[in-house]
Amino acid sequence: MSWIKEGDLNLLEKISANVLKAGPMPKHVAFIMDGNRRFARKKNMERQEGHMQGFNKLAETLRWCKHLNIPEVTVYAFSIENFKRTKEEVDGLMELAKQKFERLLEERDNLEKHGVCIRVLGDLNMLPLDLQELIAKAVVTTRAHNKCFLNVCFAYTSRYEITNAVREMAWGVEQGLIKASDVSESLLSECLYSNNSPNPDLLIRTSGEVRLSDFLLWQTSHSCLVFQSVLWPEYSFWNLCEAILQYQLNHKSIQKARELHREHQALQQLEADRACVAEHLQHHGNGKPADAQRRQEALLHYTACREDRVQDFLEALKHKRNSFFSDLCSKPVLA
Amino acid sequence: MALLYGLLWRLLLLLVHVNTALVSWLRVRLRSWKGRLWERAVAALLLPVALAGFPDQHKKLNHNPDATANPVTGNRGDGRRARWLSDGKALEKLPVHVGLLVAEEEPSYSDIANLVVWCMAVGISYVSVYDNHGIFRKNNSRLLEEILRQQNLLGVDGSKYSIEFLSNGSDKHNDGKQSIVQAAQQICRSVENKERSSKDISVSMLDVLLRESKNIPDPDLVLKFGPVNSTLGFLPWHIRLTEFISLPSHRDVSYDNVLDALQRYASCQQRLGQ
Repeated sequence: MSWIKEGDLNLLEKISANVLKAGPMPKHVAFIMDGNRRFARKKNMERQEGHMQGFNKLAETLRWCKHLNIPEVTVYAFSIENFKRTKEEVDGLMELAKQKFERLLEERDNLEKHGVCIRVLGDLNMLPLDLQELIAKAVVTTRAHNKCFLNVCFAYTSRYEITNAVREMAWGVEQGLIKASDVSESLLSECLYSNNSPNPDLLIRTSGEVRLSDFLLWQTSHSCLVFQSVLWPEYSFWNLCEAILQYQLNHKSIQKARELHREHQALQQLEADRACVAEHLQHHGNGKPADAQRRQEALLHYTACREDRVQDFLEALKHKRNSFFSDLCSKPVLA
Repeated sequence: MALLYGLLWRLLLLLVHVNTALVSWLRVRLRSWKGRLWERAVAALLLPVALAGFPDQHKKLNHNPDATANPVTGNRGDGRRARWLSDGKALEKLPVHVGLLVAEEEPSYSDIANLVVWCMAVGISYVSVYDNHGIFRKNNSRLLEEILRQQNLLGVDGSKYSIEFLSNGSDKHNDGKQSIVQAAQQICRSVENKERSSKDISVSMLDVLLRESKNIPDPDLVLKFGPVNSTLGFLPWHIRLTEFISLPSHRDVSYDNVLDALQRYASCQQRLGQ
């Protein structure tokens, strides 16, 4: 079944969508698509069928998001913890993923028409090599598209993502691109797998569980969390509207909290820069305390240098990540 | 046309607010009635549970005719303490570490102190208190005083529990993200000094640093107070498996509210990926 479902909303759905769009709309929604197996049990299907229904629901949800002008969606498809499941189930899921990515490559013209950019986030080297190659092809083929974005978290947990970001910064230090004192909240954010996306405005988890299960813990610190009891394969347009309404009700208070956080972040960066400058002046000064003007000049100079360093490092990181995908693409596909 | 939709949207929000107000009013009125009546009233009014915020904790209502709404002094202390302890033991599972997340303005020290004392009395080993502005952390001595006072009022023996104030990292105003950044800086400094290589960095290394050599487990449960549906930056690293249960407000919160939430927690099943 296809990734892209064509078709308009019906009249009632269209009206409701227009009413919602009169208010603030989330630009990035994240989904924890929970409940496939319980759905399968409920309908007396095979587990694998439950997962397939789940995928269909994903395609449908993307269609709704397009009509609601939500340009970016992130989904939790497979957690590193899910490797603990039975070999049969894991193999089944890998096979499903392979089929879906193959299908995606077949639909590349349609994806280009709709401007869909697919990104896959996770510790991809944990996956079977043939799946990695398919993923790489999908990512590289759709890289330039920019109308809407789908981020699929596969072989992902938030802790691994954060740890990887720290490792990348440490790599930057080893390469002499950045200093340890350059490490900051915003730099860490730039090193996450999700660095090309803004933070999610809304996180929805289905099937009634009320936990985050190691998903986007860093990025959703100031997002609206909505827990819904419907099972994922039964998710409806109205469930999505309910969640967006929740987002709209919380919008002002969350914006305030985000602003506050941003202010503190900026203050912290300023203090960190000041501390570095003070240390530098102490070491290179001639014993006399520097005057305010000299300190200010030194601060501005230091900040500019730091920002340049960080830019160069991020360029190098981007290059490293792009090479990872293009190297996989140039490998001969395994039969 | 856009104007019409704008008006309709405002009308929708108004309806939701009226709906929520009605729900809270009913909640208070029907608290003392049987649980079934509450469910029928809800069904009759066709109130979508989702619009009331996080899943309604009244699904498992516990009606205890002896329930006291507020702590009272006197020789009821012994009976209450024993009751709290037995309530804790009666639960299938009790969280080891509870987070109290105050997502509303103007925090009330006495109510939070009550919550902390009840948690301790029921058998919970660790309680964290967090709010978006860092008010409790900045005024932690005042909170400590309140807790000690409530302990005495409720007749809870303070010597059995130790209250340690754990700051989320340094003295500067920070939240969980900043402590992750500090751990990252520490690691990068050791890489700069050639004490370790970037390849050595693992999830467990970061985890150990973030525990700051105190063996406090991650929060099993967070009780969120207030209308804002967000974690507002609370300990992002530590809440990966934490259950979130929402209560409308921490002001005038009762012991029964807490027990309801703990019962809901006891029925949650964690599959841990499997």
